[in-house]
Amino acid sequence: MSQLRKDVLSGRWIIIASERSKRPDDFRPHQSQVEKRMENKGFCPFCEGNESKTPPEVFSLRKAGTSKDTPGWRVRVVPNKFPALERGTPPPKPNKGLFQSMPGVGVHEVVIETPDHEKELVDLPLPHIREVLFVFQERIQNIEEELHYQYVQVFKNKGKEAGASLSHPHSQIVATPIVPKRIKEELYSAERLFTRSQECFFCRIIKEEGENKERLVYQNSHFCVIAPFASRFPFELVLYPLRHSPHYSSLTSDEFKSLAPALKTVLLKLKSILSDPPYNFIIHQSPNLNLSQKKWPSIENSYHWHMEITPVLTRVAGFELGTGFYINPVPPEAAAGYLRENSHKDRK
Amino acid sequence: MKKTKQMKKILIVEDEKTLCLLYEEELAKEGYSVTTANDADTALEILKKKKFDLIITDIRMPGKNGIDLITKIMGLRKDIPIIINTAYQSYKSDFMTWAADAYVVKSSSLDELKSKIKEFIKK
Repeated sequence: MSQLRKDVLSGRWIIIASERSKRPDDFRPHQSQVEKRMENKGFCPFCEGNESKTPPEVFSLRKAGTSKDTPGWRVRVVPNKFPALERGTPPPKPNKGLFQSMPGVGVHEVVIETPDHEKELVDLPLPHIREVLFVFQERIQNIEEELHYQYVQVFKNKGKEAGASLSHPHSQIVATPIVPKRIKEELYSAERLFTRSQECFFCRIIKEEGENKERLVYQNSHFCVIAPFASRFPFELVLYPLRHSPHYSSLTSDEFKSLAPALKTVLLKLKSILSDPPYNFIIHQSPNLNLSQKKWPSIENSYHWHMEITPVLTRVAGFELGTGFYINPVPPEAAAGYLRENSHKDRK
Repeated sequence: MKKTKQMKKILIVEDEKTLCLLYEEELAKEGYSVTTANDADTALEILKKKKFDLIITDIRMPGKNGIDLITKIMGLRKDIPIIINTAYQSYKSDFMTWAADAYVVKSSSLDELKSKIKEFIKK
């Protein structure tokens, strides 16, 4: 019989459809799909040498002696050339009423993770992955200096099915003048749970999953990766820092040294077991702490930043859209088991 | 002998013939020499034979779309300014559009398009 599970934080119910339980091989793409993913259009605006096709860079890590917007970079950040939200003066608060609106002020930047078009983030050496992760922190701090950006979201769409329009490895940073609904829900819920138990809900999850180990996929000195109890999607994972902290910008250099192998290991495992699936990762952190403490007084103690990693293996359809229920054909315990056992050797 | 100033040449790739006529007429009034193509393959054939100072392309067209056309043009010449002129905002999320220099959403007024043309042709 299937099982209904509740995600305590979101209040969302999930159906773990164990009678339809699927193995990793069931999600392996056909060869034609693999070839389609590898399709190379010939020209790429993110490749080294095409710097003139992007807006001027706002940050880069590059070879000493090389100039801005020229080759020689390892990681390069540029504003979106045709952004949906544009940097600007603080927007006025929206009027109350039925038709609320405000100017589309915000930040949209692209982090080009490597000059090499053919290498994915997972293929980069650990020091390079560490640099990419450090760049996220640098940009978040820079954007949050402008206090009207309440929330900064870092995310990666890898593969067409995950929303990427270019295969050149990149991630994106979007800052909004309002705290998005999903984040607000998480914050209110975390605060409510904290008020009840005087304990961070996420710290408790980390502790219990660490002891139980059934859904634990990976752990090192500063991070762990688990398949959440009420996973919405097959092989959905969450990466947590072991040290309580609401915001990504608190990461120390030691923690960066652990974050890079944690991320690389789980991405390699997913790549190996599911034949290089499309995926999204999203960093969930508190809103700009300079602004959010009034609204969420215990945010420093109740919220815990984390990274959601979701391979795109199934499609969200009418039932999910209509009810908010998700049907997951792979129990997270099974997903964690497959991933733990996998030694992430490339399977061809 | 007095030198005559050469007219700047614009290639417009647009599948709607009535729009082609409108653009041709309006841009000719501004002093540009305009050539039109109704699909990407025709545009590529024209580009092999003739040099242009600017290309304006629609995205949603039968056959190759405008984004495919832009990537092909990049293989021929990277230095021709390209303006995307589409009815849809949504293609902005496709980073291949960055190969173009501007993205102008179609509207009843051609003011924005004309001002972008001036911006890039001056360069």
